[in-house]
Amino acid sequence: MRNGGRLWPVHLVLAIGAAAMVMPFFWQVLTSLKTFTEATRTPPVWIPSFEWGNFAKVLDETPFLQQLGNTVVMTTGRTLAQLLFCSLAAYAFARLRFPGRDVIFVALLSVLMVPGQLFLIPQYQIVQSLGWLNTLPGLIAPGMFSAFGTFMMRQFFMTLPAEVEEAARLDGANPLRIFWSVMLPLARPGLLALGVLTVLWSWNDLMWPLIVNTDPESMPLSAGLSALQGEHMTDYPVLMAGSLMASAPIIVLFIIMQKQLIQGIAFTGSK
Amino acid sequence: MTGKIRALVCAGALVAGLAGCSSSDGGDSGGKVTLTYAYWDNENQGPAMTKIAQEFTKSHPNIEVKLQFTPNKEYWTKLQTAAAGGTAPDVFWMNGPRIGLYASQGALLPLSDKIAADKMDLGKYPKSLVDLYTLDGKQYGIPKDFDTIGLWYNKALFDAAKVKYPDASWTWDDVRAAAKKLTDPAKGVHGIGAMAWSQEAYYNTIFQAGGYVISDDKKKSGFDDPATIEGLKFWKDLLDQKLSPTVQQMTDNDPIEMFKSGKLAMWYDGSYDASQYFKTEGLKAGVAPLPAGPKGKATVIHGLANVVYAKTKHPQEAWEFVKFLGSEQANRIQAESGAVIPAYEGLQESWVKSMPGLDLQAFIDQLPDARPYPVSKNTAAWARLETDAITKAFTDGQDVEATAKQLATAMNAALSQEK
Repeated sequence: MRNGGRLWPVHLVLAIGAAAMVMPFFWQVLTSLKTFTEATRTPPVWIPSFEWGNFAKVLDETPFLQQLGNTVVMTTGRTLAQLLFCSLAAYAFARLRFPGRDVIFVALLSVLMVPGQLFLIPQYQIVQSLGWLNTLPGLIAPGMFSAFGTFMMRQFFMTLPAEVEEAARLDGANPLRIFWSVMLPLARPGLLALGVLTVLWSWNDLMWPLIVNTDPESMPLSAGLSALQGEHMTDYPVLMAGSLMASAPIIVLFIIMQKQLIQGIAFTGSK
Repeated sequence: MTGKIRALVCAGALVAGLAGCSSSDGGDSGGKVTLTYAYWDNENQGPAMTKIAQEFTKSHPNIEVKLQFTPNKEYWTKLQTAAAGGTAPDVFWMNGPRIGLYASQGALLPLSDKIAADKMDLGKYPKSLVDLYTLDGKQYGIPKDFDTIGLWYNKALFDAAKVKYPDASWTWDDVRAAAKKLTDPAKGVHGIGAMAWSQEAYYNTIFQAGGYVISDDKKKSGFDDPATIEGLKFWKDLLDQKLSPTVQQMTDNDPIEMFKSGKLAMWYDGSYDASQYFKTEGLKAGVAPLPAGPKGKATVIHGLANVVYAKTKHPQEAWEFVKFLGSEQANRIQAESGAVIPAYEGLQESWVKSMPGLDLQAFIDQLPDARPYPVSKNTAAWARLETDAITKAFTDGQDVEATAKQLATAMNAALSQEK
């Protein structure tokens, strides 16, 4: 009770912050249940008339379940591939000694300095030459590796004590064995953080899927939902209902994995 | 800029050539041809596009049309990327500011010969639109729809201030006088919204003042012309007299929303926003032809066109489809959807009737005074300079004349790089 008395200003500030964070989401839920006129009226209407039909409309107007499946496959594929490839490369950069290592690493980092749009045309042409336009592999391939992920994992491996590795080497383990059985288990928090970032980025990725895939059936949700947007007019309640359904799985995932997430993010100091 | 893009397009063609037959879409199995048709407004025009494609296949059983939708924001990036890869859609929507770039890079199929061979009558479409899609004497697009600008007004605010509704006889002076009477700072109501938008606002007044944006030979900017500057000053004066919210305020709050919520009594806006004003509950809006300036009446006309990709595998089928898109039948389907004013002569009536109570006839009646949306080969190169300069000119304490003259110099430099 004494503590509560002293802490109330802190709680007040935190409560205001929390409300400000939740507000846009709350407004989205409200809008998804409004009619079009309610959603566009000024002054704004707070209580919706519970238009559940908006959700049905999304399912009618877009192949929602098919696109949800595409998003899940794309996100899973990209995330697993990144965890594997980025940590492999990162381990080499952090611990193996080979000529030109630091030069290559700097070259890799320079990729981070270039805006992604610059890769658009070359990547498109590669995917086209592979005959992967309009397919799931075309969606996944360019997202299987990232310079950022490699950098992040390298920094992580650098912090691990060298003694563990030396002990493994004395026991006769080769580099791959050390990586897989010793270092990777130790890198769990880093992998988790990278995984979360990749899942988020991949789930929301809009530009690439829109450019490489053209059929609604081969698009992920992010691109598919954009079909609900008009040039001069948009049915906001239906769009909000669609976005809500699209973000629900990610929100559930976050709630389940909350503890690991906070650990991972606190560790890397990034968001 | 242009050179760079051209290099990319060429490089793309090379890669496409090497890749050979790896792109598998658009196959000809069993004599059947599949065309792709790209467009950017699904929410409002998707149903009409679907219906037109189905009707086309009914009369051309061997051609199927696959619709390819991309939202407007990403549409041009996607088109540019796909064109660089040699796989752009067979037929797609095109707009005025971009036609010059695409046509001059050889991305579009010239249609003049086919039009002549099939004796297609381009007189059925507004002339300024046909001209918009003509480059170096070649026709690249068949007009799809059009839009003009009108003076929208809030009937309730006019009634409350006891001001007569605008009509075709209005001039700039009437606008100024009405704006004064309608402005009510206590209620946060402004007489008019003087926003730094080109097509909706200052292009119209520039033409009404007898000025021009770009010379007919596309070599010279009109922004240092005294008449052009007069057209800009019309808005600046309204801003200086506080009869309009500031440009800053209208950047923070969309003026379209301000008009919808009764904060603006008058508002220059296009026919394309009619359906959202029609659907806004509690807004009693009317629309009148744009008031005349010192040199008479004028409104900007712009419209989309359907174009054929230069490297399409099926030029003949693509032409058949574009011809159908330009037909009376296809335009009627568009008209009935109410989303846009169809380009085909005599079909505007059904669009007007699709939103009763809005007097949309004002948009059609202005056709004789319509002036084409100003473009050049590389419109984007100077359009950005223009937006920045005019936004600055309309801001408090800035001198319109000096800013416009600076803009003219910069724009002339950009134009001199076009070939």
